[in-house]
Amino acid sequence: MNPSGSNPKVQQAWFSLLKSRTAGLACFTTLILVWMSLWNPTFLAWSNLRDIAVAAAPVCIISCGLMLVLVLGEIDISVGSMMGVLAAAMGAMASASRWHLPPGVAMVGTLILGVFIGAINGWLVAYLKVPSIMVTLGMLTALRGVTEVIMGGQWITDLPPELRSLGTGTWLGIPICLWVTAAVVLISLWLIHRSTLGRRIYAIGSHPKAARLAGLPIARTQCLVFAWTGFLTAVATLVSVPQLSVVDAGIGVGMELLVVTCVVVGGTAVSGGIGNLSGVLLGALLMTMISTVLIFMKLGENATYWSRAIQGLFILGAILLEPWTRSRKKP
Amino acid sequence: MKHCFSLLSPRHLLRGCLIAWILFLSACGPSTPSETTETGADNQAVVAPKETITIALIPKKKGLPYFTSCASGAEAAAQELGNVTLIYDGPTDGSPEKQASMIEQYALKGVDVIAVSPNDPDVVAPAMRKAREKGIHVIAWDADAVTDARSYFVNQSTAQAIAYGMVDTMVQDLGGPEIRAQVAIVTAYLTAANQNIWIKHMKTRMADTYPNLELVAIKPSDEDQKMAFKVTQDLMKAYPDIKGFFGISSVSFPGAAEAVKQAGQSGKVMVTGLATPNSMKAYVKDGTVKSVVLWNTAELGYLTVQVGAALAQGTLKAGETTFEAGKLGTKQIEGDHVLLGDILVFTKDNIDQYDF
Amino acid sequence: MDAFEEKTMKARLPSWLVTPESLLIGLSMAFWFIMGKLDHSFLQWEVQRELSTHIWETALMALPMTLIILTGGIDLSIGSIMSLSAVTAGLLHQAGWPMPMGCLAAMVVGMACGWLNGWFITRFKVHPLMITLASMAAFRGMAEGVSQARPLSGFPESFTRMGNDAWLGLPIAGWIFAGSLAMAVWIMHAHRLGRCIHAIGYNEQAARFSGLRVDRMLLGLYTLSGLSAAMAAILFMARRNTAKADIGAGVELGVITAVVMGGVSIFGGRGTLAGVCLGLFLIHETREFVSWHWSRDELNLLALGVLLILSVVFQQLLGHKRPS
Repeated sequence: MNPSGSNPKVQQAWFSLLKSRTAGLACFTTLILVWMSLWNPTFLAWSNLRDIAVAAAPVCIISCGLMLVLVLGEIDISVGSMMGVLAAAMGAMASASRWHLPPGVAMVGTLILGVFIGAINGWLVAYLKVPSIMVTLGMLTALRGVTEVIMGGQWITDLPPELRSLGTGTWLGIPICLWVTAAVVLISLWLIHRSTLGRRIYAIGSHPKAARLAGLPIARTQCLVFAWTGFLTAVATLVSVPQLSVVDAGIGVGMELLVVTCVVVGGTAVSGGIGNLSGVLLGALLMTMISTVLIFMKLGENATYWSRAIQGLFILGAILLEPWTRSRKKP
Repeated sequence: MKHCFSLLSPRHLLRGCLIAWILFLSACGPSTPSETTETGADNQAVVAPKETITIALIPKKKGLPYFTSCASGAEAAAQELGNVTLIYDGPTDGSPEKQASMIEQYALKGVDVIAVSPNDPDVVAPAMRKAREKGIHVIAWDADAVTDARSYFVNQSTAQAIAYGMVDTMVQDLGGPEIRAQVAIVTAYLTAANQNIWIKHMKTRMADTYPNLELVAIKPSDEDQKMAFKVTQDLMKAYPDIKGFFGISSVSFPGAAEAVKQAGQSGKVMVTGLATPNSMKAYVKDGTVKSVVLWNTAELGYLTVQVGAALAQGTLKAGETTFEAGKLGTKQIEGDHVLLGDILVFTKDNIDQYDF
Repeated sequence: MDAFEEKTMKARLPSWLVTPESLLIGLSMAFWFIMGKLDHSFLQWEVQRELSTHIWETALMALPMTLIILTGGIDLSIGSIMSLSAVTAGLLHQAGWPMPMGCLAAMVVGMACGWLNGWFITRFKVHPLMITLASMAAFRGMAEGVSQARPLSGFPESFTRMGNDAWLGLPIAGWIFAGSLAMAVWIMHAHRLGRCIHAIGYNEQAARFSGLRVDRMLLGLYTLSGLSAAMAAILFMARRNTAKADIGAGVELGVITAVVMGGVSIFGGRGTLAGVCLGLFLIHETREFVSWHWSRDELNLLALGVLLILSVVFQQLLGHKRPS
């Protein structure tokens, strides 16, 4: 395979393309905000924007991890089922009618479980060299089954207030989940730009063979990235599931599709090597905004039936933003 | 990569298929002739008193506490009758195609009774008819199926009564029919059959009896609590004068209630709908929700098993107007509907008595 | 596993034994044996024939999907194309069109959707994953909008017989699948297109430089995928006598699972139709048997996931190298 990333001129071209993608997304988002504010000024109210951000928070958090997975050249479609199983485990641990553990233990337990499941994914991909699509596809199905077994046909309706405050509480007027999202984004930025791990991820993703010859620890990096995604999924579970009082078995269904959409709309190459955090965040925000926009537009009852079609067109529009979008595969 | 091309060659493929076919046929035993009894349009042939009756109880979605509570009642009936083996299984994702596949499997296995709560009556109808042709008694419970595909429908209450009950409860919570109010419905999937029937009846009720109610939006929640939460939040912002929400699925009701509570509108914006009392207890206690509409699910499951067992034994024949349902007493039969009774409304006063 | 171990591992076993296809055959035979021991009634021909009706639609769609994945692409929108085609046929039938014309229209709609996918992919050079993600939402949305989420049923009996009747022991849907499989095998072996698909999968740039009309072939493949989705919709309508906007929901996952299980590499270039058929068979039998024997649907999900992971793990352990 032609090492495209080694030529500085080509690299510059990639980066400028990336920047234009993010700029394009930012323009698109601003356009929508402006249009909506003209249509219905309450759209720009702090409470509305805050609620959109809160709804987008779990998607943003998981997208930070998934982006690195895609950059690495792998894929992880088990995040939705992971969230389901983590929510069920968290509920079972903390609920008074189940295992009734202290909330702190439940929180830590959920985080550890997330890392554990992610590490299993990573181990299978890195050391047994199983294609990540198959591992995560299998996990997607298996974990959903495990969730159903844990829930056992009942919902968990008595989460302790300490846990609920993670989802509903605020600090200095801003919801806790937004603080956590900001922290995750900052850590991810540091990871990508300042740490050796980030360098390695991009190197391995853009040219695995060269990376192997250069002696980079590929297996360990792969394992770490998957474990990191598992950890972030647990974090997202902790801040978003307690927003509601009922933990049901259907949490996270379809989440993986949403996250992948956000990440690719945000400009991460599916083939690996290219990824941009700001694009991903904008993508997540945009995707979450669509349903709110449609409700605010008050298009009437018949239009409700077309809302999914409109969503599809939105995604298409965001993807085709630039007329000269990058090629499907690296040259 | 040479080997994969050689394996692709038609010669190898053909050889492989032939071997597989022979292996398969040898592994399969001869098919046992299935017992067929004569079936009429709506009569099932009378079968001699059975030693054990196998009843397959299929919910819409396994894992929903609503159905789990029905199953507990069904299990109680099975224990009481003594000669009933109950199989409770259903699609965990609520897929109608999965339900139809399950019905076909039970028909092949040769159970005595299949009781199904169809997600989509049209999709499961062919499978139900095939099962009836094999001599299996097929009844519907909780949600009706196509009329000629089942012999009886065990109904907790008519769809009309459920819909009217919700609208009446909402009007009562709002303060009376004179109050002008905007309301919205948060449903399950747009294609959900039950919910659509209820919506139809609700619209009729609002148009005929409560002209002061204005239905401003019907939004789906795709059986996702988060989505129900977000939709309710957005609707409250888009329609600042909205005064009531109907959460007509057991997943959308808690989500909608939570959104109203977090917006600080508890008591100002009314929320009502269908859900199990346990999931709504907290909201009823703190005043966000005044009334929860449902029915006694355990009794529904109990009645279903009683009806199924009676059909299998031959003690329930076509044309009867009453049915003795064990400890539930006498139940009315209207045509081919076996009625459980009325809807139940849970409020602050009585919700603690129920645990499901 | 380092290079030395890989070599010695591979040296111990003959090369034809370590392919995913052989593993799948071995797994199938092992499963049959276990199933027979646990519950012999499951293996009766009557039972198997009836249960097979659940898989023909997925199998039909898996064939073009294999070809597409072999080129390194993917088509996530087949479920939605299925919905749209079904709704088209249903609405036209309601409007009084004769059923064959309705089915023809459905197939045209399916091909048009597939063609649109292919056009966006080749014209704008966007990764198929992204385009088909968008079209997945768009097509299903169109189906919901056009049908107002209402169910459409009441198809004539001559039509529904196609879904339920059998001919020479195999359901009609099975014959349609067999015909499509024959065609797919012919494409892959006897026709130039087969070699071209592999070439595109190995290295698309090289294929372009070699003079292959890559864009036209991809366009054709995605159109074919749309057509197969439409045919699957027709089979479903005949079997279940209903057309609704949600009948294709989630189907793509099952199809991709079967294809990937059959040893087709998601990166393109490696994979066989035989493997996919075996993968379909294995998944179908496992799903049906778990349901048959234990009657607990949640176990079904668990079993399927574990089966998937275990089969790939064995594939890897037997020494099959993953393409870099």
